[in-house]
Amino acid sequence: MGKIILEIQNLTKYYGKIKGVENLSLKLEEGEIFGFIGPNGAGKSTTIREVMNLINKTSGKVLVENKEFNKDDIEIKEKIGYLPSEIYLYDDLTVKEMLDYHESFYKKDIHKRRIELVKRLELDEKKKIEDLSLGNLKKLGIILAFMHEPKILILDEPTSGLDPIMQNVFYDLLKEEKAKGNTIFYSTHILNEVSKICDRVGIIRNGELIKVEKIEDLSKKSLTFVTITSEQSKEIVKDLKVNTVSEDGNTIKFGNNLPHDELIKKLSKYKIDRILIEEATLEDMFLHYYK
Amino acid sequence: MFKRELKINLKSFIIWTSILIGLFLVVFLVYPSIVNSENMEMMDEMMKMFPEEMLKAFNMDISSIDSAFGWLKTEGFVFVLLITGIYSGILGSNILLKEESDKTIEYLNSVPVTRKNIVLNKILCGLLYIILMVVIIGIFNFIGLSLSGDFDRKSYILLSITPIFSSIVIFAVCLFLSTFTHKTKKTMGISLGIVFASYFLNVISEMGESTEFLKYISIFTLADIRDVIVNVSINPLMVVLSIGITVIFMILTTIRYDKKELV
Repeated sequence: MGKIILEIQNLTKYYGKIKGVENLSLKLEEGEIFGFIGPNGAGKSTTIREVMNLINKTSGKVLVENKEFNKDDIEIKEKIGYLPSEIYLYDDLTVKEMLDYHESFYKKDIHKRRIELVKRLELDEKKKIEDLSLGNLKKLGIILAFMHEPKILILDEPTSGLDPIMQNVFYDLLKEEKAKGNTIFYSTHILNEVSKICDRVGIIRNGELIKVEKIEDLSKKSLTFVTITSEQSKEIVKDLKVNTVSEDGNTIKFGNNLPHDELIKKLSKYKIDRILIEEATLEDMFLHYYK
Repeated sequence: MFKRELKINLKSFIIWTSILIGLFLVVFLVYPSIVNSENMEMMDEMMKMFPEEMLKAFNMDISSIDSAFGWLKTEGFVFVLLITGIYSGILGSNILLKEESDKTIEYLNSVPVTRKNIVLNKILCGLLYIILMVVIIGIFNFIGLSLSGDFDRKSYILLSITPIFSSIVIFAVCLFLSTFTHKTKKTMGISLGIVFASYFLNVISEMGESTEFLKYISIFTLADIRDVIVNVSINPLMVVLSIGITVIFMILTTIRYDKKELV
């Protein structure tokens, strides 16, 4: 195991009697991209906001390089780059003024990196922030999070609003950060993204971390969903010993763990009117593994 | 960060200062024609018809409105008090809370700056603008008065700095109240309410002995123009009280802001 950079210990948040997050513990290693996934309202943003000290912790601790991260710890704040899921910046400023303002908070010279990032993400510095589209605002948010070369990046749904080309530029940026040994905490609900870029994944549901797994282990459990319309649907269920997710007349839907080659061979003896094989969505995964 | 605060609050500062300057500009332009005419006698006759309490409320029993300075002492400084008060109230309830209301605090919190530093920068900016407003109006009126005749300079200077005391207290109280919510909409009404309620309590308290106790709950007691006119000095107790109350509320603001949930 590598050096632990970010450690969350028994993090808990209650809003009155309503649970936000409960007893969440996690360790992130140097140079790892950790995917943090869960459906809307699972507690992803609450966790991040507690880590960032935007809201008070009901209990628990956050350590950065073994030192407790408290509200006003300037030294630790300098090491963190944060991208919130919804970006709100000063509408009266231009992109240039916003980036200048950001530079003013850091002792070290970060101007060179800024120019590089603005160029790569193709952002126009002359534009006013209030005139930026959602995608361009996201790009500005990314530049602000990356430009002071933080050791830890905390990103909350960073690709929403980005077009596919920019998404790829962004994934490249992530890979470079990883190569530099920086640690990335990546919150998302897009499963595809996690399997593409993350090393490990933590799944949160109802405010609790229910599973932490390596991506390679998760992909071994590759799961697809198969929908078949056939007069022989009942025999198929019996023969393949599957648990159906839904049944509607002659149409059945079930989760499939078999390699596709094997599945098709087995199905070839039946008369099938219609077949649909689809990638499991995050929700399907949840239902299948963790119900 | 301080520079940015100055820039973002400059617009409203200019607007409010212009309102006051515009008001006094009209007075200085119009007043000579009133004073020189026979209207003045009529006005004096009319004044006698008003009840004494009413005249007292506008300082008309100790000053006549037969000169520009006279008018300033009666109604003029009431306007300065009220408008700087309203400006300070709005500034106090907005300056810190705007970051949360606009949700930009999520950004500001992520950069290497402490919460105390955020509060400090905003307080300094607010105080600077309030004092600057009082000073600009003071200088403008000084020039205006100089052009329109002779006046008691010492009395004028003391009178023109008096609004600072009520304004900084209003600013500090509103700043503190703004730490209890996340939306500026909620605090705006309350801060204006404080200014007007305070003013009316002050007016009522001067009407008679039975209502005198009300002055102890009015912020404008700290900027007692009447007292300054009569004694040609600022009561040091009020200065100490104003600064004391301001400092206490600013410390309370810092403590509360430190514990506040920002989203």
